[in-house]
Amino acid sequence: MKRVALEGKVLGENDRIAAELRQAFRAHGILCLNFISSPGSGKTSLLERTLEGFAAGTRVALLTGDIQTDNDARRLARFGFPVRQVTTAGACHLDARMVEQHLKEWDLAALDLLLIENVGNLVCPTSYDLGEEAKIVVLSVTEGEDKPLKYPGIFRKAELMILNKTDLLPYVPFRVETARENARGIHPGIEILELSCQTGAGLDGWRRWLQERMETPRQ
Amino acid sequence: MHELGIASSILDAVRTEAARYPGAHVRKVGVRIGEYCGVDSESLRFCFEVLVKEDDLEPLALDIEYCPAGNGTRGDELDLSYLEIEEPETS
Repeated sequence: MKRVALEGKVLGENDRIAAELRQAFRAHGILCLNFISSPGSGKTSLLERTLEGFAAGTRVALLTGDIQTDNDARRLARFGFPVRQVTTAGACHLDARMVEQHLKEWDLAALDLLLIENVGNLVCPTSYDLGEEAKIVVLSVTEGEDKPLKYPGIFRKAELMILNKTDLLPYVPFRVETARENARGIHPGIEILELSCQTGAGLDGWRRWLQERMETPRQ
Repeated sequence: MHELGIASSILDAVRTEAARYPGAHVRKVGVRIGEYCGVDSESLRFCFEVLVKEDDLEPLALDIEYCPAGNGTRGDELDLSYLEIEEPETS
C-alpha cells in the first residue's frame, strides 16, 4: 500500500469556480455580496428595503436561493431590477456552480452590484465561496444573542453583522451589548449595524455602508 | 445535507486523483475537518458510506482528522490530506 499526500481542498472544485467568478466580478467592477442568516432573520426584507432605496436605472441584480418556491424572487422582482431565484431542490446552501449557471444569461457589463441571498442556514453556506467580495451575516433580535458563539464559522467569515428587527427590542429579552460582545469575541474586526426593516430605523447606516463599499476599489 | 455534499466532493476529488494512478485502487482517503466547518464527523461518515456503496470506488475507507482551532490552525480547514493506494502487481 502506498500513501500519497494530497494538498487540495475538499471543495477545491467549488473554490476554482468561485475564483473565476470573483475574477469576472472584479473585471466588471461589480461588488458581489453574499447574505447569510438563519431562516426568518429578514434577509429578504433587508433586500426589499435596499432595493426600494435605489433610483431606477441602478445597475443592481439579485440571486435569491431557497430550497423550494420562487416566493422571494417574486417579492424582490416588484422593484423592477433583475432577479433570479435559485431553487436548490433540497441543498441547504448555494454553491459557486449554481451562481455561475444562473449568471449565464446576464450581461455582467451591465451591473455594478450583485446581491446574493443564500439559503436560510447559518452552517452550510459558510463553507461555500460564491466569488463574493464580502459575506454579510444577518441576525435578528428574536434569536438568541449567543448565536455568534453557537455558529462561530459564519461570524468569523462575515465582514459585517446586521442586527435586524430592533423595533422588537422592547418585547424580547435580547441584550444587544451581549450580542455585540459575542460577535466581537469570535471576530474582533467584524462591523456591526443595527436596523429595523419594519420601521426603517438604521437603514441609512446600511445604505451608507453599501455606498462606501461600492465606491471602494476592489483588488 | 451539508455532509452529503461534502462526501460527494470528497469522492469527486478521489476520482480526479485516482486518474493519475492508472490500474491502481484507492483504498483510503484522509481528510482534515476544522471544528468551525459545521461538519459532523459521524454524519459525514454515514453519507460517505452511502455514496461509496453506489460507486465503483468501493471499497474505499474514509479517515477523518478533526482539527480544533488554535496552535496555528484556524478551524475552518476542509482539506484533503492523503490517499492510500494499492498499485497493480508489476511482473
